[in-house]
Amino acid sequence: MTGALARRYRRLLFCYPRAHRRDELLATLIEAAPPGRSRPTVREAANLIRHGLRARLGRPASRTVAAWAVLAAIIGGVFAAAFATRAGWETAEPLPRAGQTRAMLAEILPGQDLRGIEDAPAMFVIYGHPLGWDDANSMLFGDGGEYSLASVGGAVDGIPVRPPQETLDLARQRLRETGWTVYRPIVRNMYGCIGPPCDSSAIPTDTTVVAQRGNTTLTLQVNSESTTASTFLTASLQRATPPAVYPFAVGGGLAGAVVAFLLFGWASRRTDGRRLAGGVVTTLFGATMLLWWAPTLFAVPLMVQHHLDEPHPSWHPMWEWLGQPTLSLLFVVGGGCVLLGLGLAAVPRPRTEAAPTTAPS
Amino acid sequence: MIRGVKPMREPTFLILTALAGCPRHGYGIVQEVKALSEGRVSLLTGTLYTALDRLAAEELVEHDRDEEVDGRVRHYYRLTARGLTALTAETARLRQLTGAAETRLRALRPGIA
Repeated sequence: MTGALARRYRRLLFCYPRAHRRDELLATLIEAAPPGRSRPTVREAANLIRHGLRARLGRPASRTVAAWAVLAAIIGGVFAAAFATRAGWETAEPLPRAGQTRAMLAEILPGQDLRGIEDAPAMFVIYGHPLGWDDANSMLFGDGGEYSLASVGGAVDGIPVRPPQETLDLARQRLRETGWTVYRPIVRNMYGCIGPPCDSSAIPTDTTVVAQRGNTTLTLQVNSESTTASTFLTASLQRATPPAVYPFAVGGGLAGAVVAFLLFGWASRRTDGRRLAGGVVTTLFGATMLLWWAPTLFAVPLMVQHHLDEPHPSWHPMWEWLGQPTLSLLFVVGGGCVLLGLGLAAVPRPRTEAAPTTAPS
Repeated sequence: MIRGVKPMREPTFLILTALAGCPRHGYGIVQEVKALSEGRVSLLTGTLYTALDRLAAEELVEHDRDEEVDGRVRHYYRLTARGLTALTAETARLRQLTGAAETRLRALRPGIA
């Protein structure tokens, strides 16, 4: 019984650093265990994991280091997950070619002459073209939001062959008949004016219908105003989030959190007791937390609201939930602070500076 | 008022009190803390060793000796002079607070001792 219990405790004690007193902890755990116990309690296991990770930080005298390490691990994890998500998108099937798109849309919108259907240049585009180094300025200085999932589709201009409502009803019927899952329509007042003095019955509306079939999503927009000079209808196809994105995000997130936690602990130990270097590294760390957490805390509620307001067959990519790349300048400056801080922490301790007292072995 | 004394958390106070009598090993501290708190505080091993690491880094406790019992080595800890000073100061702080509270309670309900 004790052998099995000791084995299980020993497994939990891997949370502690190798040099830590694992044998001493094990002896205390075994002594404290009531007779007949064969496995650690959940409370004990959680306690050992928590305090083992705390011990890995190697700053026993600090009361706040654990809280900062958790903040660093969470934000490091979510940003790593976002990058992993982007990598996971590389597994997505390419968008349908123009000819295929034309055939798919003709099935849904019979009789409509959709124009402007062209092959998508990439899965993600900025201003209609794949991301390149030339776009660095746009990405960093305010236009990062233009980087988005590409679509392939076309538009019908001028007076429609059928009235708008009939076009919508027919499209929704055809979508259901051809195996698409159709979501509730979103109707927008095109003038953005609700109530007096506006007469809502006289204001043109824009109706959006989204649908999904397999790994493809469709967005259909129909304008209630039909003039020779306006676009009556647009229809476009996008790829839904590929299944591989989820394991990529989880794996990347966990790896990022572990790396951030360990790097934080390393830099914290390296700068402990070094007044100047410690002060500068702490300031850089604080700046990074601000620059990385602020856009995240700003963007997440907005994205939650957006997803609640409108049906989304496929959620927006994870980086958009972190305010990226719209606020990528903050992320990049934060990244610079991290590199500078780690570089300063790596500088060897001057011989005149005494190393801080550590726990006895 | 006792100035310049940082209040201790209850487990820290109890660990130092447990070590005030004599050096103790990990499980010995756990048992003594339980007895001192009349069974109210039951230290988990992870919590105990994090506290011991911190107290050692603050030079309030130190390693005393090792003893082998049933094939397992027991590491004993003892209070340092600095630990004794900190415990004395914290006890005085708590006594002052308790005294103040008792005075108020006596005024409120004269029957209370």
